[in-house]
Amino acid sequence: QPPRSCEDYWWEWKHCRGLRHAFHHYYAHGELPACGRWREDYEACRAWEKGRAAAAQEALCKSERARVMEKQKYAPVWKLRKSPPPDWYLPLDQDKPN
Amino acid sequence: EADSPSATEEKAAGEEEEDDFGYRLFPDRNKKPQSFLVRSFFTFHNRCQVMLRMTLETNPYAQLLLEAMKQSGCTVFNDRHFSCENCDACVGGGFDSATSQIVLCQNNIRQQSHMNRVVTHELIHAFDHCRAHVDWFKNVKHLACSEIRAANLSGDCTLMNEIARFKFGLKRHHQTCVRDRAIRSILAVRKVSREMAEKAVDEVFDACFNDLEPFGRIPHSRTDAKRAYRDFKNRDRYNANL
Repeated sequence: QPPRSCEDYWWEWKHCRGLRHAFHHYYAHGELPACGRWREDYEACRAWEKGRAAAAQEALCKSERARVMEKQKYAPVWKLRKSPPPDWYLPLDQDKPN
Repeated sequence: EADSPSATEEKAAGEEEEDDFGYRLFPDRNKKPQSFLVRSFFTFHNRCQVMLRMTLETNPYAQLLLEAMKQSGCTVFNDRHFSCENCDACVGGGFDSATSQIVLCQNNIRQQSHMNRVVTHELIHAFDHCRAHVDWFKNVKHLACSEIRAANLSGDCTLMNEIARFKFGLKRHHQTCVRDRAIRSILAVRKVSREMAEKAVDEVFDACFNDLEPFGRIPHSRTDAKRAYRDFKNRDRYNANL
């Protein structure tokens, strides 16, 4: 099935084109947003749901994977943990000596 | 730690004086000011607790962070991980990594919207502490990164908030605000020079401004936050179908 439901793509596209979002995007990034990609993803999602075209599936997955890659563009500043901090649940009295 | 004892002391002192002076000789004279002081001191704590409960139960920013932390293995408990205390200066709150507690300044947070923002801000620090090895005390870049993320994602830097601080700007002003608030926060908690703080922030800015976990977007409004929460809940489906 598609990574997101098709309604989600539609919502993202409508939201992207709205005035409020345009304002917020300009305020945060200094330029107006580009929304065409959401529309394409929506079309691809619809095609996928209708059962057609492996091409649509491929296009949609490629687009989403590109989004993920864009987020991982920068090297992380810190090292991720493999397990949560050991003292997270310790009662407060025991933490006092620290 | 020091606040519960002092609150009880204040209350006890007020009551004694009332019995000696305000009640017997002049029933209404000293009563009101004393009661008001005692009452308002006592209710700062109550009000903080009530507003905190409201935030944790209804605010989508906080709910998303709580869910994300739970998924990372750090379930947040109201009575263990939050503490309403009196603070100096103009701070709204802080995250104490040594005790894994979020401190809320009951004397400085007056409105629900402010409480929402402070809780979100501190939960972002807690989230970073939970998912990464953040060296809060010795590595200024780690601290800078968390402060950038917190200023970026908590709603600290909305246009309305900036205008209320008499800081005006539009194009990319959000980033200017995030940078300035991160530097301010670093200077407030660590003894480093302004140059060092600025350098650390500038070095990690690109990486950390674009690290939008767990939101996946910069939430400019409750709608954005609710959407981000929804996306977070659907992330298993998302990752499985890439």
